[in-house]
Amino acid sequence: MKQPFTPRPNSNRKFVGGYRPKIDAWEKARGKVEYVDDITLAKRFPGMLYAKVLRSPHAHARIKTIDVSRAQKLAGVISVMTYKDPEFTSLRPTNAGWTDGVDTVSYDGKMWNQFNDRRVLGDYACWVTDEVGAVVAAESEAIADEAIRLIDVQWEVLPFVLDPLEAMKPGAPLVHPEMTPNNVLPPEKMGGDDVFLNKGDVDADFAKAEVIVDGTSVHHNATQASLDNWCCLVDWTDEKFTLYSNSFEADQTRMHISQMLDLPLHKVAVISSYVGGQFGRGDTGEQPFFLFTAILSKKTGRPVKFKHTRRESFHDSRQPSIYYGKVGAKKDGTITSLYFKSIGNTGAYADHSIFALKFAPMEISEVSFAHIPNVKLESYAVYTNKLPACMMRGVGNSQFNLIFGHMVDLLAERLDMDPIDLCIKNFGHEWETLPDKSLTQVLKIGAQKIGWSKKRNKPGQGPFFEKTKKRGVGFSLHPAWHAEWQEVRRGRIPISITLNPDGTVILDAPTVETGTGSNTCNVLGCAESLSFLGVTPEKIHWNHVVNTDTSLKDCVQTDSAVSYLQSEVIATVVEEIRREVLERAEPVLKAKPKDMDIVDGRIFVRKKPDQGISLKDLLFQGDLVPIVVTRNRLVNAEKTGVPYFANFAEVEVDTDTGKVDVLHLVVINDCGTVMFASGAEAQQVGGQVMGLGETLTEEIIYDEVTGVPLNFNFIDYKIPTMADMPDIDPILLEIWQGAGEYGACGIGEGTLTCTPRAIMNAIYNAIGVRINDIPIKPEKVLRALGKV
Amino acid sequence: MPTSSKGTKKTVAKPSSHIKIKINGCWHNFEPERDITPTMTLSYLLREKLGYTGLKVSCDEGGCGACTVILDGKAILSCMMLAVAANGHEILTIEGLEKNDPVVEAFAEQCEPGYGTALQCGICTPGFVMSTKALLNENPIPTMAEVKEALSGHICRCGCYAGIAQAVTHASEKIARKGDVS
Repeated sequence: MKQPFTPRPNSNRKFVGGYRPKIDAWEKARGKVEYVDDITLAKRFPGMLYAKVLRSPHAHARIKTIDVSRAQKLAGVISVMTYKDPEFTSLRPTNAGWTDGVDTVSYDGKMWNQFNDRRVLGDYACWVTDEVGAVVAAESEAIADEAIRLIDVQWEVLPFVLDPLEAMKPGAPLVHPEMTPNNVLPPEKMGGDDVFLNKGDVDADFAKAEVIVDGTSVHHNATQASLDNWCCLVDWTDEKFTLYSNSFEADQTRMHISQMLDLPLHKVAVISSYVGGQFGRGDTGEQPFFLFTAILSKKTGRPVKFKHTRRESFHDSRQPSIYYGKVGAKKDGTITSLYFKSIGNTGAYADHSIFALKFAPMEISEVSFAHIPNVKLESYAVYTNKLPACMMRGVGNSQFNLIFGHMVDLLAERLDMDPIDLCIKNFGHEWETLPDKSLTQVLKIGAQKIGWSKKRNKPGQGPFFEKTKKRGVGFSLHPAWHAEWQEVRRGRIPISITLNPDGTVILDAPTVETGTGSNTCNVLGCAESLSFLGVTPEKIHWNHVVNTDTSLKDCVQTDSAVSYLQSEVIATVVEEIRREVLERAEPVLKAKPKDMDIVDGRIFVRKKPDQGISLKDLLFQGDLVPIVVTRNRLVNAEKTGVPYFANFAEVEVDTDTGKVDVLHLVVINDCGTVMFASGAEAQQVGGQVMGLGETLTEEIIYDEVTGVPLNFNFIDYKIPTMADMPDIDPILLEIWQGAGEYGACGIGEGTLTCTPRAIMNAIYNAIGVRINDIPIKPEKVLRALGKV
Repeated sequence: MPTSSKGTKKTVAKPSSHIKIKINGCWHNFEPERDITPTMTLSYLLREKLGYTGLKVSCDEGGCGACTVILDGKAILSCMMLAVAANGHEILTIEGLEKNDPVVEAFAEQCEPGYGTALQCGICTPGFVMSTKALLNENPIPTMAEVKEALSGHICRCGCYAGIAQAVTHASEKIARKGDVS
């Protein structure tokens, strides 16, 4: 029997932290929710055309000549445009990583402004599938596809490189020679130098350290695989530009379009509704296809829809990284030096590579390694002719945790120490002394749930099950470094609440609902704050469509932080609502606001509780104008440390077949405050599909000879199904507390950061041989066991 | 465009070039080429031509289960069937379910501690709901192994499999209570 989480003592929340369905659960279960592909059905947009883009069949090539005459003659083709058209040559080069989603930025304020390596439509392709050369608008998708096939291109096929280590060698094919002479992305201001952190002196410390361990880990191109393939419709038939899409950043997309196409912001409307899964795909959405779809709409004078096929939606991926780690320690387990070096396969475009390779590890180090005197971090992001790497759920963290959890396990074994004790002894955060309360609780509770002391073997020394199978347990741990003060970069967060005369509420807390459940968090936060007026979640309507013409600025689903950020501002807005209710009651109850109180929707004079009026009776007097309060403010920025999270795994490895079965996963997240328990547990349980998938089964496979990716489909790119998933125990904790009304922390990304390393350490515990590159498929296990 | 007639009596049909498909209780007549081309998939017909957007097309090659509908009582992948092949058959899409359908209710209501919800982004949900309908029609009290087998053709990238399994169990209980296996 599973147990509900235990709330912090005396928290006394009415709605926040509850177990309940998502607010959109009925609509979703009935198939009534409309995603962008549904909203943009042809019958809703008379005259609509379909766009397709030419895609490179080569890993690295340049167009020598292009002839579109056969395509133009095909019946049903309305327009064929090429990279030579002035509409495209006039556009500035760009990238698809303007921001990490926390803030809205202009062209010049792009996070990785140095790497403008993408043309909206150019003549140069640097991976198989790259959008290049020509676009078509036609009466149907099939005609558009056929037209693309009729385009005659003479390619200058260039040598290509897939492996980052090969790409770093002198003489390797250069992917973006205009950016870098050796495929390594040059240092820039946001990520810093190649050695981007150098505290103390690791070399001197390694020379005298009592114990040293080192090792490597390799993470791969897992992909987000949202079922809702990229799709957009642009209507730019008039002065006004309207975009419907499944971008999860409406305001930033509006800025992107305005800046790239030189349109004033009030002439650009960006509309997003429900999105069928996001997981970081497409970075922050500054995708060239929005722009070429728009240009086709303007050219043809008709609305144009562009959507990816499933194959084309293998468009973004996790940043694959090779990490080397080295740790120096005293015999008592005190870590004195840490060194990590990474080489990241950036793929064809830079986008957010540096975020994964430098930005995230820097933040992790600052909070978790604050008590370790010598820390050095070094990283190289390398262009290759592979699928671009970008943001994916837990960006940079998953890769870093793979080496971090490896070093912990290695060092603990060398010291003959429990790795849990090793973590408690060394890691915490910069604003407090060790041991860290959150870290300690996360590990102790996780250990208890998995049966750590009972199930943990000497590596490979446990008994056999069913003759050939061995079992083991492992864990990995990580800080939620983005908690709290990182969110300062978001700037002001706007919220509007309309209190209707009948006591119902319209909540304008815009965010593109990608499935995270933050909409339910907002409604619960709103009901909590307004409960003195008798408001319950059922009396609140949350607007699910974000339309930049009519909505406030949307709060973007990054850092999993929308779950509490908007609720913090809602609490401020509600103070204003309370003030206005009392002002309206003043002439009716003939009392000063300071002498009145409101309980359960009844306003009364404190000293004469009988002298009162219900909210509805009060608001139904006079003009029936709802109370509307709109406010925006910065989020709290006090330093209160960070919470921790961890995953524990129990595995069974068949030493004959090499197959790894995960028997049990325990997912522990310290949330600060649980905003919506069912939603948070859904994130904890759900994240394991992605985490387990990238550890054991998911992998993009290339033909090394041609550079062609071979499995851009759901048959061969193996995502775990219900039959593949083990029993999962989600554990929510409220140990750490941040600033503000709730002091919460997003957890969605953190649910899977530790999954791969926890499973890998468990495999080692089972078979006594380490496998440090994922995915761990049976052949790797057999090879490690010396059986192949 | 297609015409509908509710409760059409079974008569000796004249040889006709029309394609007739019963969708959510109504027979629809389609004219070949004009309404249905030889290569048109059933999912395309249902979504793009008729507006049944509850079913989703994600992979378009039978790899994800999002396009699942019920054909003559069995769950099928509508992206893997040609529209013409549905001639004479009976299709149920999620739009054809009652508002208080026990499976729909169970998927919506799941919030039991320890399992998470049965849906997050919701794009795979109609497919799971339809496969669950078909499963429970045939096997009203399935074991967990049978549930996993029946639903393992579906991908939920949000990963709500544990919540979905609970929802199937609860739907089964609801149906048993209603004594209704419609």
